[in-house]
Amino acid sequence: MNVTGRASYSESQLYVDGVTVSFDGFKALNNLSFVVEPGEMRAIIGPNGAGKTTMMDVITGKTKPDEGRVIFKGDIDLGKRDEAAVVALGIGRKFQRPSVFENHSVFDNLELAIKSDRSTFACLFDRLDADRKSKIESTLERIGLAGERDQMAGKLSHGQKQWLEIGMLLVQDPELLFLDEPVAGMTDAETEATVELLRDLRGERSIVVVEHDMAFVHALGVKVTVLHEGSVLAEGSMDQVQNDPHVIEVYLGR
Amino acid sequence: MSLRQWMRGGALRFLMVFWALAVLVPHSGASAAEDLGTLVTELGAASLSKKQAVVDRMVATGAPEVVPILEALVGRDLYTRKSDGVVVIGQKTSGGKLLLTDPLTGSEVGTVGSREVKRIKTNNRLRSSVKAVMGTLTLMSPDPQRRLEAADGLLKSSDQAMLPLIETALAKEADAAVKNALQLAKASIKLQSDSAEERLAAVQSLADRTDPESRVMLSRLLLKDGDVWREPDEMVRATAGKTLASMESRLEMWRTVEHLYQGISLGSVLLLAAMGLAITFGVMGVINMAHGEMVMLGAYTTFVVQEVFRSVAPGLFDWSLAVALPAAFLMSALVGIAMERGCIRFLYGRPLETLLATWGISLVLQQTVRSIFGPTNREVGAPEWMQGAMESVAGITLTYNRLWIILFSFCVLGAVLLVLKKTAFGLQMRAVTQNREMARAMGIPTGRVDAMTFGLGSGIAGIAGVALSQIDNVSPNLGQAYIVDSFMVVVFGGVGNLWGAFAGAMSLGVVNKLLEPWAGAVLGKILVLVAIILFIQKRPRGLFALRGRAVES
Amino acid sequence: MSLLQRLYAPQAQEPGKGRLASAVLLSVLAAIAVLVPLLNLTVPADSAFHVPTYLVSLLGKYLCFAMLALSIDLIWGFCGILSLGHGAFFALGGYAMGMYMMRQIGDRGVYGNAELPDFMVFLNWKELPWYWYGFDFFPFAVVMALFVPGLLAFVFGWLTFRSRVSGVYLSIITQAMTYALMLAFFRNDMGFGGNNGLTDFKDLLGFDLQSDNTRAVLLAATCVALAGCYLMCRSIVASKLGRLITAIRDDEARVRFLGYRVENFKLFVFVLSAMIAGLAGALYVPQVGIINPGEFAPANSIEAVIWVAIGGRGTLYGAIAGGVLVNYAKTVLTGVIPEIWLFALGGMFIAVTLFFPKGLVGSLPAAVDWVKRRIGKRNPPASSSLAEEPGQ
Repeated sequence: MNVTGRASYSESQLYVDGVTVSFDGFKALNNLSFVVEPGEMRAIIGPNGAGKTTMMDVITGKTKPDEGRVIFKGDIDLGKRDEAAVVALGIGRKFQRPSVFENHSVFDNLELAIKSDRSTFACLFDRLDADRKSKIESTLERIGLAGERDQMAGKLSHGQKQWLEIGMLLVQDPELLFLDEPVAGMTDAETEATVELLRDLRGERSIVVVEHDMAFVHALGVKVTVLHEGSVLAEGSMDQVQNDPHVIEVYLGR
Repeated sequence: MSLRQWMRGGALRFLMVFWALAVLVPHSGASAAEDLGTLVTELGAASLSKKQAVVDRMVATGAPEVVPILEALVGRDLYTRKSDGVVVIGQKTSGGKLLLTDPLTGSEVGTVGSREVKRIKTNNRLRSSVKAVMGTLTLMSPDPQRRLEAADGLLKSSDQAMLPLIETALAKEADAAVKNALQLAKASIKLQSDSAEERLAAVQSLADRTDPESRVMLSRLLLKDGDVWREPDEMVRATAGKTLASMESRLEMWRTVEHLYQGISLGSVLLLAAMGLAITFGVMGVINMAHGEMVMLGAYTTFVVQEVFRSVAPGLFDWSLAVALPAAFLMSALVGIAMERGCIRFLYGRPLETLLATWGISLVLQQTVRSIFGPTNREVGAPEWMQGAMESVAGITLTYNRLWIILFSFCVLGAVLLVLKKTAFGLQMRAVTQNREMARAMGIPTGRVDAMTFGLGSGIAGIAGVALSQIDNVSPNLGQAYIVDSFMVVVFGGVGNLWGAFAGAMSLGVVNKLLEPWAGAVLGKILVLVAIILFIQKRPRGLFALRGRAVES
Repeated sequence: MSLLQRLYAPQAQEPGKGRLASAVLLSVLAAIAVLVPLLNLTVPADSAFHVPTYLVSLLGKYLCFAMLALSIDLIWGFCGILSLGHGAFFALGGYAMGMYMMRQIGDRGVYGNAELPDFMVFLNWKELPWYWYGFDFFPFAVVMALFVPGLLAFVFGWLTFRSRVSGVYLSIITQAMTYALMLAFFRNDMGFGGNNGLTDFKDLLGFDLQSDNTRAVLLAATCVALAGCYLMCRSIVASKLGRLITAIRDDEARVRFLGYRVENFKLFVFVLSAMIAGLAGALYVPQVGIINPGEFAPANSIEAVIWVAIGGRGTLYGAIAGGVLVNYAKTVLTGVIPEIWLFALGGMFIAVTLFFPKGLVGSLPAAVDWVKRRIGKRNPPASSSLAEEPGQ
């Protein structure tokens, strides 16, 4: 393993430390460890079943790790928190399948997502204030959906739904963002626009992109972590990992 | 008390027992029996003091006709007719007259006014000795029922003089129930003994029993009259106490066994009802609210098949179930396939809608059956080999029909497991369960597999209906009674897992029946339901849940 | 777009139409509340405009069912939770009101016992069970009619939603819940009249339940309560919370990963819905004069679900319309051919799920549209053939 051995993780954005998760004896994650720095954009790739989704489930509080821990911002243990608590800490997650609220307008989707009091009664009596409204409008511009403001989200194209979901994460103001296959099913033009959008976000917050599309990962030009059978196989720049004999074996050997 | 009686009875008793023994032991060298008719006439004529001797001689004949004559004597119904001096039995009629019967043949010989006959005189002493003699007589009766009554009578009187008689009878007795009663009587008599050793032996002889009589007998020994123990000997008391305690614990065990049996029986019924549900729910994620009606259709198919047998071939009635089983399977399976093709397949991926639509189908099926067969219960007969019950030592009855249903449910489970594991259809079905898309891509006709699966699940429900028709009322509401329980079984056991359904059904059945004695049937059931509702909170996917990503999506 | 595609297409939110329907609904309720009692009480019995008393009570009953449908729509149509146990909340509310009216009987019962209701005297009970205390006080009974269903929903929902039991599992255990309650209420020693339930009520707040005046007032009160519940539900559905619960219905995981505690939102709606159902039950019992454990039967709850499905789930007025219409159909059909009712009901279940998933209200605009276009297509050739005729 060429990734362990860092002296201090207190300044890291996210530190995944020896996490193991098994389902009926099958180890979906096997002693997985990696670090994401503040402001870093990271791409995570790996074949099907490498444990990418399970990794995100663990970090975002959906699945509890059998072993190991997940530390956010150096001292917050995510292992015991549920999804809502993890989101409240500033971690956002976009799903592989675009999931937006199809029976709500684009604007409403963003309104439901925007950072605000999440308690039940606060929602009952909530009125949208000017600050939040202008933030939604500016996000609409940023994700290129200003023209579809009052459109039902269900009527958007596949790519537009992906952008809307990214927009829904952005209005939450997360410090760390997980994007699961953000360009799956997109046309080339849409993919390009998405690359632009993500490059634009770089530095603003830490972003972890999980992708299959090698061209897209290449275009992002960021550090890449390769997962295989629940642990890290290789880590480095795209060129480095592409020449790694282990990676070649895993991707081409079967 | 019986000791006092014994003293009063005196030598007469000895004689009685002697005679009785003479009767009991066949070919004992007694002279050829005297003619009963002559003796009866003699009885009528004899003076009060001589009558005892005549009775003894009558007893010595060993003829069964003696019993009714002596009964009549004791009941003061024995008369001599004034006109000819013939001895007759007279019974009062409503008109205040007497209906006369011949004591030997029992045939009626006319009705007369009470003045025309003369009652044969008896006194208390004679009557009580005759009563005792009669006990011994009936002990020899060829009818086990009579012998049992006699033995019970001996237990009640607990007469020490009877001890040798009981011993002899015990040696001869073949019937278990009579033997049992005799042993009890023997112990009871021995407990009256003056010798502590005898009493101790009596207590020990009861050690293997659990019946209420022996428990009462032992617990009496442990009572005090004021400050005085009823049983003076401490050793006997201690042994009695110990024996009683072990009896109670054995009894408790037997009761548990009985509840377990009932539980397993209920569990196997639930298993039959839930197995099909586990398959349809597991493979297709379809909640079939009309599943109970599939069971009901199976039960009505049984009814129809039996009606046909009754009218066409009544002699072959015992074989009706053998025909009903495949018929019920086919009937329910066809209705199930029609349901799947006609309705459910349009609703895949929308489980809540499926639930509502199948509920609608269940209403239609219920009403259809109600319109055809009427709203009342229809009687479904049981073949001979399913009737009756097995009685065991501690008064536990295991009815044969339930025993058969337990066996049957296990056979069905085995057969279904075989179908799933060993046939091509089973393989396709399991493939569709695990990954519908992939199975379709592999060329498995998922539509047909769905229909067949639904047919299989419904068919099993139909078979369950045949079994249920043997223990429950066959009415249009039959299915409704089992639907909630079947769902509980499936949800508890874990969806799509036959072993889960098995474990779920058995544990629900057994827990239900174990709770029943102290909570009552209804409260027990409520407790089980509440427990399951709570259990699902802990394990939302049931006892044998599959875990992993595929399940959650 | 074919008719079927239109029917299955996501429901567009058209605020204008919703407002119109609301206005219609509220004015109909107001009209019933005012006109029906008036026509019953002031118009002489031989007049054609007279509304007989049985009709007053029947209408009141329908409106109570409509309120139950409203509560089910709130939880199912908007939050996606199919409860097959709402009949239990309805019955609990009914029992609370029934207990009050039982206490009102006082010593006018068959046994003339001022302390105990008849069935307790019959069972040889010596004193009133503690949970009957307070029910001789009307406001207490009303609070209980809301509180008890609410509490049950809270406990049940708290346990269930927290452990993320959902979908058909949830439906099945709600059914088990009402089934268990039915068994419990059938028991004599529960102290709620067992098999026979509570009946033989005399009066409510001192007013004779048999009198036309009382019945008219009860109907008006039901109208007011239903209108109130409707307005409350509408404002909730329109709030951010309302949009969130529909979001939960459509994509629960997404809502969760937006940082909302989904279980709390479900719990809020579930409890509120149970309380509305309880209120409906409380209004229902004085108008029908009896409450018994049969109300807990699982079949009752699932039947109420179909009212909502037929009316149109996800639209509050649709649920209300469904509750009234289906029950009206039931009255008519069981009056004419009793056997056909179950066929009709079963057929409704099948038809509405297969062909009209959005119910009457949801399908109406699409159907009208479709018919219009059909007519539009057919008209021109029809007129041309007419034009040719004179030439022949």
